[in-house]
Amino acid sequence: MSTARALSALETALAKRAEGLAPARAQAFGNFARTGFPNRRMEGWRWSDLSAALRDAEPSSAPIHQAPPPLADDIAGLKPFEIRIVNGRIDIAADAAPEGMNCGVIDAGGDIMELAGNPVAALNAAMVKKAAGIEIEKDVECAQPILIRHINEGAGFSFAQTMMRLREGARATVIETFEGAGAAFHSHSFYLALKEGAALDRTLICEANPDAVIHSLFASRIEAGAMFNMTALSIGARLSRHEARMQFVGAGARANIATAALLSGERHNDFTSAIGFLAEGCETRQTHKGVVRDKGRNVFQGKFQVDRAGQKTDARMNADALLLSDTAETNHKPELEIYADDVQCAHGATSGALDERALFYMRQRGLSEREARAMLIEAFIGSTFDNVAHPGVGEALRHRVGKWLEGA
Amino acid sequence: MLKIADLHVAVAGHEILKGLTLEVPAGEVHAIMGPNGSGKSTLSYAVAGRENYDVTAGAVTLGGENVLDLDPNERAAKGLFLSFQHPMEIPGVATMNFIRTALNAQKKARGEAEISAADFLKLIRAKAKIVGLSDEKLKRPFNVGFSGGEKKRMEMLQMAIFEPKFAIMDETDSGLDIDALKMVGDVVNSLRGPARGFLVITHYQRLLDHIKPDRVHVLAGGRIVKSGGPELAKALEESGYEQFIEAA
Repeated sequence: MSTARALSALETALAKRAEGLAPARAQAFGNFARTGFPNRRMEGWRWSDLSAALRDAEPSSAPIHQAPPPLADDIAGLKPFEIRIVNGRIDIAADAAPEGMNCGVIDAGGDIMELAGNPVAALNAAMVKKAAGIEIEKDVECAQPILIRHINEGAGFSFAQTMMRLREGARATVIETFEGAGAAFHSHSFYLALKEGAALDRTLICEANPDAVIHSLFASRIEAGAMFNMTALSIGARLSRHEARMQFVGAGARANIATAALLSGERHNDFTSAIGFLAEGCETRQTHKGVVRDKGRNVFQGKFQVDRAGQKTDARMNADALLLSDTAETNHKPELEIYADDVQCAHGATSGALDERALFYMRQRGLSEREARAMLIEAFIGSTFDNVAHPGVGEALRHRVGKWLEGA
Repeated sequence: MLKIADLHVAVAGHEILKGLTLEVPAGEVHAIMGPNGSGKSTLSYAVAGRENYDVTAGAVTLGGENVLDLDPNERAAKGLFLSFQHPMEIPGVATMNFIRTALNAQKKARGEAEISAADFLKLIRAKAKIVGLSDEKLKRPFNVGFSGGEKKRMEMLQMAIFEPKFAIMDETDSGLDIDALKMVGDVVNSLRGPARGFLVITHYQRLLDHIKPDRVHVLAGGRIVKSGGPELAKALEESGYEQFIEAA
């Protein structure tokens, strides 16, 4: 570890835990240790200073709790196949897995990991020995949603990994929830291989404790003709950063990414993504909507990187923010890096307040200020959840927006 | 019904209404005419309770009740309706859901039973036919992509559905063709009754061919400077406002 840098209590504890690791994991730890937890002086972390958020973090492993909080009724109603990761400990009932799905606790690691390329993912790779493994067999359409619950309880840190593979032509729905009352630091890395013609619908719901610090990384290689659909809703945490790093490696693959953050109090959420177009004719539609009140902070960073081989790429990115108070903050950084000459790429970003004229109009018709504001905010979030394949999942997301608006 | 006494209204520190007094008794339709910048829209916004239209003096009562202390939605629930001169487009807000939610909010505030989705659908379809809006238009986000005339039809649709006690119509006729003018007249005339009042703000006599006013007032320089019968509107059409601008 560099001697030039003072280590935080958490980093010292982690370094101690990393002593005597197997070479690959020790190397991963070395990659983390070069910078330690990212801070605002680092590229890509300017608005999400993880190091500062973890300054007072408990430098010990989070305890393992046996009894997780009950599952929200609407999600339970989807009758999902449930995988629980409580303070980093994986709980899978492999015997109950739906037909065509293989799962269990497997060795962590794999070649997709090199996509991650950030210090927290490196730390995660060092700390995690066993991952939740999920495989959907060729041409299997897994109708039962797969639910991965990340539950943080108590204080301390925890790390977990999920490795998922959808074989050729397979289809599945994954719902990930970040929940629990813990003020912990939780890091999760999710590595996905999406084989030719496969399709994954991933929904992420982050409803963590306002004191929690969460880093979730999603890294994926997407092969020819495959389809990745992601929808996310986060109400933030002390700091939650949901990162997606994807590469299109086969022709004609597609991705839809629609994220929304509803932030109040001092909650901070960061959706950061980087998508590499390494093959011809791939398509991406990405939207982000941030609604921020009080002293909330919304961060969106999106990057499309079109390689010379990425001819006929069609990629659009849009990020909009609605600021409901003078102290609310939003930071957008859309980026295009294009090396191919026959592509269609576009990005746009807006931020603004609720339209006072529309508010007056609606109030003149009889809506209270609160009802009018809620209706306009819902209109702003608009079609974010329309792409979710499973109607029950879309309903669960809208229900959470409604609940947030009741408190707004 | 609607009583406005010595109303002074300032917008961004500038006094626009300078002691306006007007009474529209129940059962009557009054028209306000006046040159540009005389304060006609300020009057409608101030009565409806728009923010930043500061009432610095005077009183406004509806059915004897002071409305100036009420929020805009409370005024709406008391039966006050404003047909906007420039109706809003509200992207993302579904028209039928908005109108039904607003209607039920009013009903709830008045302690009345809410209307069911099925009954509302019947109601809005019937009224949409009268104002000439297609089902397709009702399914769009509110006013999005509507022409000026269609937006005014949407105002009349809402007036027909809400059946307000008192309606202020702020230049509803601007941008309307002859058929649409007649439609506006039909909606107003169908609602006219002993318990309702209307204040029709207009630049032109032509709307008053369809809605016969009981009284006509001239607003200039922030005050009512002349009142008379329907013949006043005709006289104004011929002589213009110049004499009143000078008088104000």
